[in-house]
Amino acid sequence: MQKIYQVIKADPRFHELERKRSRFGWWLAAIVFGNCLWYMAATAFFPESGFAHLWGEPVAEGAATTWGIVIGFVQTVGFILLVGLYIYRANHEFDPLKDAIVEDARRAAGE
Amino acid sequence: MNSLFPRALLATLLVSTAASAWAQAPAAPATRGPNYIAIGMFLIFVVISLGITFWAARRTRSASDFLAAGGRISGFQNGLAITGDWCSSAALMGIAALIYSTGFDGLIYSVVPFGAWPLMMFLMADRLRNLGKYTIADIVSVRFARIPVRTLISLSSLVFVVGYLIAQMVGAGTLISNLFGIDYTVAQIIIGILIVLYVAFGGMIATTYVQLVKAVLLVSGASFICFAALFHFDWSIDALYSSAVANHPSGIKVMQPGGLLADPVSAFSCGVMLLLGGSAMPHVLMRFFTVPDARQARLSVFYAAGFIGYFYLLTFVIGYAAIGLVMKDPAFLDANGVIRGGPNMAAIHLSEAVGGSFFLGFISAVAFATIVAVVAGLTIAGASAISHDLYANVFRHGRATDEEVVKVSRISAITLGALGVGLGIAFKEQNIAYMITIPFTVSSSVFFPILFLSMYWRGLTTRGAVTGGAVALALGIALLVLGPTIWGEILGHGEGIFPYKYPALFTVLVSFTIMIGVSKLDNSPRAQRERAEFDDQFVRSQTGVGAEAPASH
Repeated sequence: MQKIYQVIKADPRFHELERKRSRFGWWLAAIVFGNCLWYMAATAFFPESGFAHLWGEPVAEGAATTWGIVIGFVQTVGFILLVGLYIYRANHEFDPLKDAIVEDARRAAGE
Repeated sequence: MNSLFPRALLATLLVSTAASAWAQAPAAPATRGPNYIAIGMFLIFVVISLGITFWAARRTRSASDFLAAGGRISGFQNGLAITGDWCSSAALMGIAALIYSTGFDGLIYSVVPFGAWPLMMFLMADRLRNLGKYTIADIVSVRFARIPVRTLISLSSLVFVVGYLIAQMVGAGTLISNLFGIDYTVAQIIIGILIVLYVAFGGMIATTYVQLVKAVLLVSGASFICFAALFHFDWSIDALYSSAVANHPSGIKVMQPGGLLADPVSAFSCGVMLLLGGSAMPHVLMRFFTVPDARQARLSVFYAAGFIGYFYLLTFVIGYAAIGLVMKDPAFLDANGVIRGGPNMAAIHLSEAVGGSFFLGFISAVAFATIVAVVAGLTIAGASAISHDLYANVFRHGRATDEEVVKVSRISAITLGALGVGLGIAFKEQNIAYMITIPFTVSSSVFFPILFLSMYWRGLTTRGAVTGGAVALALGIALLVLGPTIWGEILGHGEGIFPYKYPALFTVLVSFTIMIGVSKLDNSPRAQRERAEFDDQFVRSQTGVGAEAPASH
């Protein structure tokens, strides 16, 4: 096991995989975190603050539905889509690369 | 604002429990004698779930079967089981109750905790599966000293489980006696017997399939309520919201944020607790070890996020539909014009309003099944902390046999079941609203920082992890006790020594600071070895080489 770890660590593709994957993951995590903060801030500061004001506005003249409802709905759907986006890229790009690295390393380590 | 309910309901915290609000808003019983339709449907669930348990018991041979279903659950099944673990009946009734009382702000308990799912996917799922075996303590034990970290994490897990369990049991007892017209103590004992049967005999396999059945029932029940309500308003969601605005005393304000978490520190503290705590709950994370590999772990998160997200979208309709269809209907109000059974009954009454008494029976049975399944999930998490972490690894130094681990798991499950019933009866009619903040504070300020730093930061050492975790655990409990709820209301001092109801913002910061600070100062040979081992752990977490394989039989 030690030997195979050494081989993988020495493989430049492994570092490329790690860099790509973690950059992608952190970007998506930042989007999610930002949206949650936005929601918390809107409930904490409404209606004084300007950026929160939108949340209480009706979507159309005479409608009961407010932008806050729409934003919350879109955020929830968006989170599901982001999870889907991540798994798509993980399965189609990261996993094949990882499998290739591991297979080569196993061969090189003589397992 | 509506002074009593919001504060009581706030602590119900969606993900968690049905418990609190019943305990704080004792109201006239909602039913008129035993509800035979509900009892009949629940009996069907009991028969099916015991059948599953019997089948699972025959397949449960090793510790791996018992604690991780042999690593043979598929991503799709596991996604549903996680949905079951995550969505207690409070996710349906608690959020509906919050919206019923305070309007828009109740939805914060849908959107913010759901953010935990993408975070788990992007930052944790692969790595957790590649590093873990049966419990979250395994992940940290990859490079840290076994005894101190396992002791800390398993004791924190037990605090988590017992806090969660009390909240569930007390809430369940009140709900069940309301819905079914049976005695509180009888309800406690029924729950206790069922979970002991599921967990002690069927282990993780039975718990997973029971959870799966329950998730399907809960999601379909909530869907029916939602679409039947929309049908009632000719499929116009704006008409539904308009009727809520017309019926609610706050008028258009029910569609706007504000009021519930007016103090910004509380708002952010509560949000941090939900988001970080939600992404590190031991009974949810241990499900990642029931699938064969990291790819299936990712798939489970994907399906779970799909089902849970869909479920939360339904809450955008259900809470407001209850205002529109229940709030002004005398059939659901008592003599004073207040909703029968308190706002937690809003979703239940709505099910009767849109589906009649047969559907009411179905939803009541689903609520009971939901509680039983959630308690079973907690019990197996507690049993694994005792048998795998404390017994096998701390007391027996990893030399316990498989049979011994299974035996200790069974005994632990029976003990936890009995403890749950005992505590449920002891806390009857207590204000247990604060209970649910205990598990969330523990998971956000102990589990999340340790898991996160051990996977992402080379510098973390045993000393840093254990000191930070132990301080955060003690501080979290101390601040909760000294806070406005326990010190102020329950012990009757008027206000808390610590002014905020949610200490998570502070304890998370303290936890990270101590873990990082102590680790940086730690230059012992052991610490140097632990830093050196980070690279191997990192390769394993990224590639799955050396990860636990599923059981072979």
